[in-house]
Amino acid sequence: MPLYLPIAELSMNIFLVIGMGAVVGFLSGMFGVGGGFLMTPLLIFSGVPPAVAVATESNEITAASVSGALAHWRRQGVDVKMGAVLIVGGAIGSFFGAQVFTYLKSLGQVDLMIALAYVVFLGSVGGLMFWESMRAIYRQYTGYVPPKLSREDRHKAWIHALPFKMRFRKSRLYISAILPLAIGMLVGVLAAIMGVGGGFIMVPAMIYILGMPTNVVVGTSLFQIIFVTALTTIFHSVNTQTVDIFLAVLLLFGAVIGAQVGARVGLKMKGEQLRALLAVMVLGVCIKMGFGLVIEPEELYSVAEAAEQGGH
Amino acid sequence: MRLLVLIYMLFVTVVLPSPAMALVTDLSNNKIEIRYSFDGAQLILFGAVGTSLKDPDSAPYEVVVVVRGPNSETVVRKKERVGVIWVNNQNITFPSAPGYYAVAATASLDEIAPAAVFEKYGIGFDYLPLVVRSGDDVAAPEPAFREALFRLRAGEELFRQELDSVTKLTQGLFRTDIHLPANVPVGDFIVETFLFQDGKIKDRSRIKLDVGKEGFERAAYDFAHGSPFLYGLTAVVVALSAGWLAGVLGKK
Repeated sequence: MPLYLPIAELSMNIFLVIGMGAVVGFLSGMFGVGGGFLMTPLLIFSGVPPAVAVATESNEITAASVSGALAHWRRQGVDVKMGAVLIVGGAIGSFFGAQVFTYLKSLGQVDLMIALAYVVFLGSVGGLMFWESMRAIYRQYTGYVPPKLSREDRHKAWIHALPFKMRFRKSRLYISAILPLAIGMLVGVLAAIMGVGGGFIMVPAMIYILGMPTNVVVGTSLFQIIFVTALTTIFHSVNTQTVDIFLAVLLLFGAVIGAQVGARVGLKMKGEQLRALLAVMVLGVCIKMGFGLVIEPEELYSVAEAAEQGGH
Repeated sequence: MRLLVLIYMLFVTVVLPSPAMALVTDLSNNKIEIRYSFDGAQLILFGAVGTSLKDPDSAPYEVVVVVRGPNSETVVRKKERVGVIWVNNQNITFPSAPGYYAVAATASLDEIAPAAVFEKYGIGFDYLPLVVRSGDDVAAPEPAFREALFRLRAGEELFRQELDSVTKLTQGLFRTDIHLPANVPVGDFIVETFLFQDGKIKDRSRIKLDVGKEGFERAAYDFAHGSPFLYGLTAVVVALSAGWLAGVLGKK
């Protein structure tokens, strides 16, 4: 059943769209990740203009993060003060990311930037995750238990030397506000140019750089993602009119159903196995994007309307 | 609808006195509305040639129908290898290229008239006049970019030539189908019909065709482009409520 999407200006099969949402929802439910880094490439591979894919996926991530954030909120799993600093950083990052996005779109280089960003970030994150999970599986196999590092040991000395210290009670931290601000900014830039929530960067950064306790990490990151992707949605709407609400709602519909099933399957699997599988998928998307850049395209030419690129 | 057009055509050709070789055309539909289920559209152009009924001995006529979509500034880019990756490295801008261009005829164009005639009137892929504005760094010859524009748009079924034919129904009546694909651009279309005889243009007629988004689709499009900030805000509110609803339903 074809459905005409008025903003994307193309017809897509409604079941294909819901199906894509369901598959990514299943995987994100199983792995406990946002899924933006899978959804955006999938939309691009299925013919949605990359700019529309990125902007629309921001919109969908807002929706997909709400229920998770609410659940963590009820369990007191959100550090609001830390979240607020991360949001300020994210807002700045998202604003500049959207500006760069708009500028590159007018030059016809936005697809290249999206692909490069995916290759670099998914390649490094996927590689690290793969290495870490393989080590965990190997250690479990051999029965080696690594000595536990205390939170203070993980906290490096240079971090305490930074100025503008703030107290984050919920995270039991007294650290410079520059760090969460910088992390938030990086995540904001990624949200604007890659159509991701940025959890895959933010969660490790919160644990290993900020030294936040794990019980507030996921809730606080979801809390930040809601606000930053909402802002990103508005920036893209104003700059390039590329947010398709209908596409976003359909994807969400599929994702909600898929996530329910995925979460149940995920419970039956071991953590390090899940991480290894996720790493393989992340690397898979990275390689597919990378091949698109390196291999000589069958069609060297492309056509675009200039009017829709500079904004109005 | 089609029947009405046909009756109207017969009325025009038979009853009304017409000048020599007068050409009358009409479309089965002057307004195409793109709605949520839009998957392309087909419309029919009917035409009548005035004198053919009175003077059956005159030389056979030929018809060429040209449908042009709205013009817009169009960029054609070419990828080149930079280091290990392929990058859009050259581009040429056509300040006013049609978003849709279809040519249908009663015979192949070279049988109808000499190339010079089509060149003069700018009919067909080879002679459609396109102004070019190129960047400073363009090294590749411009025809390659023009060819690429036609090849890519033809691949999307937006540019059509020698795919559709004009059928003569009776001595003086003809018809052709106009195919608009799902990705057709919105705006004002012009359907031009050229009447040829002995390799010369005898008459021409123009009809306007309006392709627009209607109803909900139009409202959404106008909203997104007219007040983008409010649209973005709405998108966020929709996402927040949908997400919340999904969370509530998911728990049960």
